[in-house]
Amino acid sequence: MTYDLSEPLGFDALTSVRPGSNILVSGPAMTGKADLAFTMLADGSRRDEGALVMTTGDRADEVLDDYRARVDDLDESRVAVVDCRGEGSRSSERTPDGAYVHHVSSPGDLTGIGIGITKSLETLANNGADDGRFALDSLSTMLTYTDRKTVFKFCHVLSSRFDSAGYVGLFTIDSEAHDDQTIQVIKQAFDGMIEIRDHEGTRQARLLGLAGQPTDWREF
Amino acid sequence: MSDADTPVVLIVEDEPDVAETYRLWLEGDYEVRMAHSGDEGLEELDESVDVVLLDRMMPGLSGDEVLERIRDRALDCRVAMVTAVEPDFDILEMGFDAYLCKPIKSDQLYDTVENLLDRSEYDDLLQEYYSLVEKQATLEAAKSSAELTDNEEYRAVQDRIDELQGNLSTTLDGIDSDEDFIATLRGLDDLDE
Repeated sequence: MTYDLSEPLGFDALTSVRPGSNILVSGPAMTGKADLAFTMLADGSRRDEGALVMTTGDRADEVLDDYRARVDDLDESRVAVVDCRGEGSRSSERTPDGAYVHHVSSPGDLTGIGIGITKSLETLANNGADDGRFALDSLSTMLTYTDRKTVFKFCHVLSSRFDSAGYVGLFTIDSEAHDDQTIQVIKQAFDGMIEIRDHEGTRQARLLGLAGQPTDWREF
Repeated sequence: MSDADTPVVLIVEDEPDVAETYRLWLEGDYEVRMAHSGDEGLEELDESVDVVLLDRMMPGLSGDEVLERIRDRALDCRVAMVTAVEPDFDILEMGFDAYLCKPIKSDQLYDTVENLLDRSEYDDLLQEYYSLVEKQATLEAAKSSAELTDNEEYRAVQDRIDELQGNLSTTLDGIDSDEDFIATLRGLDDLDE
């Protein structure tokens, strides 16, 4: 099987994405990177795929509230959140509607994140979701907790894990919060990149990588 | 065996017969060192040790205490804890890299050591890969794409990057198991501290 990630951008190369592909979603602040990633995740939930979110900013319950509003009749047993906001120690819980939530002590606690992702994937698979989509929002926060060498390696290891688990991953990064070298290096850990910009009052995106030439900018 | 490339395995085990059995199983492929207590184990430990087989229940320093000191010294070795009973704790949360329940069979011991050596190999490949990606980005920022096509250093970097991508995807079967995944991330945490 392949993943159809063409909603909402409409790029041909996103209609059948190979399992194990990992895509960087890059753009300046306030250009809707997270919204785009969650829109793509929600489209998977409508197809009964698993949805796994790693958040460094919003609380797990805020993420879940937002996500419920995106998908009608959401099967929450196929939703998992790894909340890295660092309130309290490592722990996990299940919401009344069946979503799995794992708390990690900080966005720099990579071992805790690894355990959270492992348990989430296991829970989603036990609930019938053998394939699924992952969204991480955001790498920029991780880069304030740890250096780019560590974040690069983390992205590579996570990509490899999703490759063998058959997931697709979407990772947001604020393109203006880091120097060019950092963006160039982090990019190399991914199979492709969706770049977003505000252009003369409209929001535009283009796709780079995923075994194709860069696309033209397209409004969305 | 004393070849510099031969991996070094340190056995920390207070029962001499058990330690001797492990040594016989492993000495054909590795340089084996022996320690009969936790204290002796710490003395034998240095940069050349790749894998430690650590008995959990020993008189004097326990396996858990030895492990803590190994982590404090930030030594680049992998630790397999040897326990008498199936651990009742969540093994993912513990600081060791693998565990083995007594009695251990020969192929089980060998597979564990090989897996831990593969993890070290993976870490080394990932470090080299990262360094080259940095170098590639630096060259790309300094030169035009026309200059880069003719630049030998750049082409060599790119070739090696392609090669490493292939090696990384086959070592540990591309991080196929949960244990390898978490242990690799733990390794990144340790380096970061």
